[in-house]
Amino acid sequence: MLEIIDLTRSAQYIGAGMAIGFGAIGAAMGEGYAAGMANESLCYRAENSGNVVRNMLVGQAIAESAAIFALIVSLILVFSAPSEQFVLFAWIYISAGLAMGLSAIGSGIGAGLAAGNACQGIVRQPAHSSAIIRTMLIGSALCQDPAIFGMVIAILLLFLDFSTVPLYPGWAAMLGAGLSIGLAAIGPGIGCGLAAREAASGVARNPETNTNTNRMMLVGISIAQSTAIYGFVISLLLLFTGHQENLALTASLGLLGAGLASGFGGIGPGIGEGITAAGALRWIARSSGNTGLLTRSMLVGMAVAESTGIYALIVALLLILVL
Amino acid sequence: MDELTSVPQFTLELFGINLVFNTQTIIMTWIVMAALICFGFLATRKAGLIPNPFQVVAEMFVSIFYGFTRDTLGEDLAKKYSPLICSLFMFLLLCNWLGVIPKLAEPTKDLNTPLGLGILGFIIAHYSGIKVKGFANYIKEYFQPIFFMAPLNIISELAKVVSISFRLYGNIMGGAIIILVVSHLVYGLIVPPFLVIFFGLFVGSIQAFVFTMLTLVYISLQVK
Amino acid sequence: MDINGADFIRALALLGAGLAMGLGAIGPGVGEGFAAGKACEAIGRKPEEAGLLTRTMLVGQAVSESTGIYALVVALLLLFVV
Repeated sequence: MLEIIDLTRSAQYIGAGMAIGFGAIGAAMGEGYAAGMANESLCYRAENSGNVVRNMLVGQAIAESAAIFALIVSLILVFSAPSEQFVLFAWIYISAGLAMGLSAIGSGIGAGLAAGNACQGIVRQPAHSSAIIRTMLIGSALCQDPAIFGMVIAILLLFLDFSTVPLYPGWAAMLGAGLSIGLAAIGPGIGCGLAAREAASGVARNPETNTNTNRMMLVGISIAQSTAIYGFVISLLLLFTGHQENLALTASLGLLGAGLASGFGGIGPGIGEGITAAGALRWIARSSGNTGLLTRSMLVGMAVAESTGIYALIVALLLILVL
Repeated sequence: MDELTSVPQFTLELFGINLVFNTQTIIMTWIVMAALICFGFLATRKAGLIPNPFQVVAEMFVSIFYGFTRDTLGEDLAKKYSPLICSLFMFLLLCNWLGVIPKLAEPTKDLNTPLGLGILGFIIAHYSGIKVKGFANYIKEYFQPIFFMAPLNIISELAKVVSISFRLYGNIMGGAIIILVVSHLVYGLIVPPFLVIFFGLFVGSIQAFVFTMLTLVYISLQVK
Repeated sequence: MDINGADFIRALALLGAGLAMGLGAIGPGVGEGFAAGKACEAIGRKPEEAGLLTRTMLVGQAVSESTGIYALVVALLLLFVV
């Protein structure tokens, strides 16, 4: 017969496997992109190789950070002692693994995109390499924010005491919290990477506009991350609202549905707003006189692209609070 | 496997608050500090036109990081901040490399060290930003570009500290755990030295560099 | 099916190891392939730089591989140590 500790310990291992499994995907893809672009640009100007390779390594190190967070969570799951009393903790461990693992996918890809085009830019304009590197560092470090939200949820799940939450519908609340931030962080990570990529290329093309481009990049990336924040807010709501014991299937699946809604709902707008910001940044660097017009167009476009993300947020809130 | 989770600590009762010190981290940090102070002393003694080896290395570090700081902050601010940046890099480099020596452990393996350095960078950046821009302008920046972006901007600032600290901690701690686990799996044959070179020297130097450059970039974002 | 407690833990640990390495192999595969493809293009454009380009490709692929190594280590942990 299965005891509670068997269930919780095995859930820990599944959670650990999923955390590092999903977490390794994005970082490696981004780092490979950076390596490829570095190589492609080196063939044009081989004497710059020291600078380019160093920049590639720095960019790859930033892209790897999300995978490192996933490794930390994974190792915490493998080595910490599982709860012996509450089956709910099994769902908590799986959810923590999902939260960290999934959210690391987008950030890894995004930071790698920025690093790759920065290497390309350095070869194009070796004299201004420090401005390009600065843009890349800011952009790719900002791309890590969705993974940080994922790690915060994972750590909250692992280290706070949820023993007073009832198993039904608590299991769905915990699992939904993990899925909400995990899935919602994929889109903004990739989108912000697309934006940072264009900013780095733009600074290379036109180094005089670099303060302008940096400022617009910060604006664009901050707004593109908003769906990750919606996912984070829904996660926090699912974790911390007091759940009454309710054995009905509707209660459990409703909460799980809320997590899935805000989770999947964050992917599309994140990537789309990133593409919008990328387009705007590409032209802000080329024609800095039109910055105001381009910024307004970017903000309007992003607001419309966010609409389905907001519908997802509303549906999730309805599922949690009303039904 | 138990050595991963047990941390030698030393508790001191002071004014009714329990102060807990992680002894291993503190002693290793003292070793790094002593090594750097000796290095500094040896490098500047009898500084002449024909440099001794320590002076050559010191000049290399200083000139490289003064160059980075000047490129990012401009000439006049560079003189103010480049000592911080250069010493941050040298401290982190030696901290990360300390694990390669057999009986010693990296101080950065304890979350307190990277988190402390991250908070240090955060405080310096924001204090300099307030001093340069004035408090009103500093607060106004949080409300750019739209009024309700303020909470997003505040979260983003906090996320910066968390990300640089945890990146350094995770890389070093993760590397140490991986070396331990793989050495256990291969019974200590052949593989461990290569892992130590990769995770200790290579990853350690890259992470020290990334931490330093990101701190520099965050300072420049506030000050310029 | 009579499920023993220790069996159940071992079974799910094996499943976790499979997930870890299986999913963890996706990223390095795609990333290193992209790097190698771009390196081939670059060598095609400038064959005399082949040494430098191959070296850079291998360095980049090694860093990309490191996340795959993390996944491998966790998988081996779950298989043999727990």
